Amino acid sequence: MALLIPVLFIAVFGFALFKKVKIYDEFSAGASDALKFVVKLIPCLAAVFMMCELFEVSALSDKLTELLSPVFSFFGIPPELTKLVLIKPFSGSGSLAYLNGIIEKYGADSYIARCASVCFGSSETVFYISAVYFAGLKPKKLAAPIIIVMISAFLTTVLSCFLCRFM
Amino acid sequence: MNAIFTVIFLVSAAALAITAPQNFLPSLLKGGEKALTMAVTLFCIYAVWMGLARLAEKSGLSKAAAKALKPACGKIFKTHNESALESIAMNLSCNLLGIGGAATPYAVKAIGELEKDENTFAQKLLFIINATSVQVVPTTVIALRTGAGSANAADIFLPSLLATAFSTLFAAAIYMAGYKKWRF
Repeated sequence: MALLIPVLFIAVFGFALFKKVKIYDEFSAGASDALKFVVKLIPCLAAVFMMCELFEVSALSDKLTELLSPVFSFFGIPPELTKLVLIKPFSGSGSLAYLNGIIEKYGADSYIARCASVCFGSSETVFYISAVYFAGLKPKKLAAPIIIVMISAFLTTVLSCFLCRFM
Repeated sequence: MNAIFTVIFLVSAAALAITAPQNFLPSLLKGGEKALTMAVTLFCIYAVWMGLARLAEKSGLSKAAAKALKPACGKIFKTHNESALESIAMNLSCNLLGIGGAATPYAVKAIGELEKDENTFAQKLLFIINATSVQVVPTTVIALRTGAGSANAADIFLPSLLATAFSTLFAAAIYMAGYKKWRF
């Protein structure tokens, strides 16, 4: 599995070389796009991280987790993931903040962190996407698609936690 | 997100004001600091993958992948709109490689094209596919775990693949069935 990534890079570099692409120039241009993207993201990250920090320090997050844990446990979702699962549909940077926190707190190879990683990777920020995709178009009836996506996201979370037990 | 941010911020601030007001400002500053550390980590991840994506794009590899996906896309999305199909194919290719940031502009373009044909079925289906995430390589997650000292950061590859495949297929199937029956 670890082999896949270097092989992918070598293949793409090789093909680009064959096509006479200026590899160094273009690779740096890609990295420069990455910088622009991240710089645009920093203010949102700052706001969301401040919110998360307040939420944690004020002990409200513990209360919420306590409240919802029985429901989540019933479906086999560890209570430590409650906040991640709740924030994911609304904010990519927010859920990233919680994912990073979980990985740091429990260790990258713990069951909790692996569950969180799989959950994070298999769902998206539904509300953000629906806003961006349909901005400026004639109003659409999006309730049904959004509900379908939310149900599917919840079932996928249950499935992820189940899969991580033995994979 | 505006409503959520405001509510959580205000309620937490009020709770802190009662219990430990001296912690209020330090926790905000700590949040800002964490955001910056995170941004550095993210830049490293995106620099690697967007650099690679740029090479794939310039060498025509992305276009070739898009071309291969086009016939299948035409059938699934019930459209013959060429430029919409190309954007859809590019969007899916970027998603599969786990570069969601690069996928969004293509989706927006495709949805705009489909608007001309009033093909809401294809628009909503594309939305569902994107909103349920279709990554094959969860690049961000792997990089975060590597940074935190994981022994084998890529070991979530298989469960991730199964989970993401399930979420997309499930949602798309329900939507298609629902569309046939109730036209939503």
